[in-house]
Amino acid sequence: MHRAKRFFLRWEWLLVLLILGVFAFFSWKMPGSYTFPKLLDQTRVYMVDVGFMALGAMLILILGDIDISVASTAALSVTAMSVAYSAGSGMPFGAALALALAVGILCGWINGYLVTRFKELFPMIITLSTQTIYRGIAYIILKDQSAGSFPQWFAKGLGYGKIGSVPVMLLCVLVMFPVFYVWLHRTASGRRIFATGTNIVTARYSGLRTDRTKVILFTLNGLLAAVGGIFLASRTGSVKYTIGTGYEMQAIGIAVLGGASTAGGKGSVVGVLLSLVLMTCLKNGLMIAYNDSFILNLSIGVLLISVVLFPNIANMIQKRRQLRKRRVESAANL
Amino acid sequence: MPFYTLLIKYREIGLIAIIALLIALVSLRNPLFLTGDKMLFIVEDTAVLAVLATGMMCVLLVGSIDISIGGIMALSAMVTGIFMRNALSAAEVEVLVDGVRTVATVKQSIPLLWLILIGMGVGALCGVVNGSIIAYGKVLPIVTTLGMQYILYGVTHIVSSAQAVYKKDMSEAFVNFTRSEFLGINAKTWIMLAVAVIMYAFVTYFRTGRHLYAVGSNAEAAEMRGVNTRRTTLLAHVIMGAVAGLAGLLFASHDTKITQDLKSGYELYVIAACVIGGVSVTGGAGRIQGVLLGALTIGVINNGLPMMRLTGEAEFWKKLIQGGLILIAVVSNVLMQRAMVRQNLRRRNI
Repeated sequence: MHRAKRFFLRWEWLLVLLILGVFAFFSWKMPGSYTFPKLLDQTRVYMVDVGFMALGAMLILILGDIDISVASTAALSVTAMSVAYSAGSGMPFGAALALALAVGILCGWINGYLVTRFKELFPMIITLSTQTIYRGIAYIILKDQSAGSFPQWFAKGLGYGKIGSVPVMLLCVLVMFPVFYVWLHRTASGRRIFATGTNIVTARYSGLRTDRTKVILFTLNGLLAAVGGIFLASRTGSVKYTIGTGYEMQAIGIAVLGGASTAGGKGSVVGVLLSLVLMTCLKNGLMIAYNDSFILNLSIGVLLISVVLFPNIANMIQKRRQLRKRRVESAANL
Repeated sequence: MPFYTLLIKYREIGLIAIIALLIALVSLRNPLFLTGDKMLFIVEDTAVLAVLATGMMCVLLVGSIDISIGGIMALSAMVTGIFMRNALSAAEVEVLVDGVRTVATVKQSIPLLWLILIGMGVGALCGVVNGSIIAYGKVLPIVTTLGMQYILYGVTHIVSSAQAVYKKDMSEAFVNFTRSEFLGINAKTWIMLAVAVIMYAFVTYFRTGRHLYAVGSNAEAAEMRGVNTRRTTLLAHVIMGAVAGLAGLLFASHDTKITQDLKSGYELYVIAACVIGGVSVTGGAGRIQGVLLGALTIGVINNGLPMMRLTGEAEFWKKLIQGGLILIAVVSNVLMQRAMVRQNLRRRNI
């Protein structure tokens, strides 16, 4: 009984309710134009590009750190990819893809190294400067031109391809999430990450190599950013140095909506997946209804705050009521 | 007094050395950089950043952070701009041109002081919302202000009905606000000095100001000493909001244009200025002098780079150099602190 109660009181159910609510609202408001197949089509925007970055952002948030350089990392790695491929140097596309991933890994490792070496500095400041640096390098490579002309299969197959009626991109994400779920929530190394984020001093005293965990996670975050960037490039078809600007805040927002906390030690893969679905439903509906990105941002902001605020308030009221009850009881005992 | 004890007492000296080094580097390449006029211009150009940074310091002191200041600036400038546009009227004023009295039409609107109060009021209101959600709703500051950033830009868009406020909608007094000079020094610099002095006095000599440090360094202990920690956090955000409102107006007057995405992304510069100036992001440590110097460092970088006469290929290196210099400034500050601590320990034979 107690276990069942705890299962239903989990954060994820709130997100499920919100998804159902949003879906019901828009299908009631715009019957016919807000349908499931259209929603599936829309998934490429939110669930893939931002999805990978949100997974990475969640990993970093579990550690209690923050990384705002992911969008720049993505930009730099796809810049490297597109230039290496289209510069006529004869590099095959597979190698260019590998180069993009390598650049992402390198960027992430630099972040991790700096964060662990200079513990006095807040990760936000380090990643703020690397954000400018990575995009600055992309700017040096590409100037203000755009590079592109990728092979056919990259755009047609990966970017806009479908298997049945399910976009290929979505399948890639749907494979990623179970892998991350098992790793993070069902293995010892996943538990170690949570331990590091909950209390880094205890974790170190318990014999965990916290610095190494951090560096590895930041590196992984860079890799995820590069993967997100590759998917983004396959959709846009060309690369400019401004690609993906502002994605880092969206990624962090989605991770927080999915139950991660900037204080560390909290986060859930299922939550991130659900909040991605929620965003997709909301974005699609609002774009059809208002076609206005500002309204969309406004509602994302309201959602982000209220989803954290209301459980907090409910919690506080409950605590106060318990306190009053205990006071009444102790007064009666006297 | 030995040099290192001086360094420990006034850690801003390290920052001054960095600024001097930067200035020296740029003037080696371009002697025109090291002139009184240029230096004054840099201070003038950095003034708004410094004003924002003093507000940000208050928020960082209590262990909070505000990344919604871009939205606050946009909203308060936009609301003020709309008030100004609606009250705009042409008035005929007698002016002296070459000793001859002539009648000129001057655009008039709500008096400047009222406009400033409206802007700061709207900003403070945003600060109240931020502060109450953080202090009383117990939502983490980054989450709250990230959400508010989205919300405020959205509200600005709705309030403006997707129309920017242009120079033709501004009163003469508002346009001249940031262009007027007193004793040969620009009004923005004076405003920065005034804000800095007020803030310095507030956080140094006033009890409420000292509470900001108390809450930031140990909230629990402060609470036990009878400090209302939640009200103090709220106050810090209100100060930040009011200051951001003022800064929004300064930007609006300087650019003679109020758009709905006014200065988006500027918050990161402001936080960088604070951190370079030695404000701890975990709260409880920071000084106005440091923050001003931190803002000045960024100002010197931003103004120095175009003076480096980088042409052709090198033009594209600016962004990289900007980020790299911020990183170097922050890291060298840390290394200097570590050296100081080591020196301290050695002196006490530990």
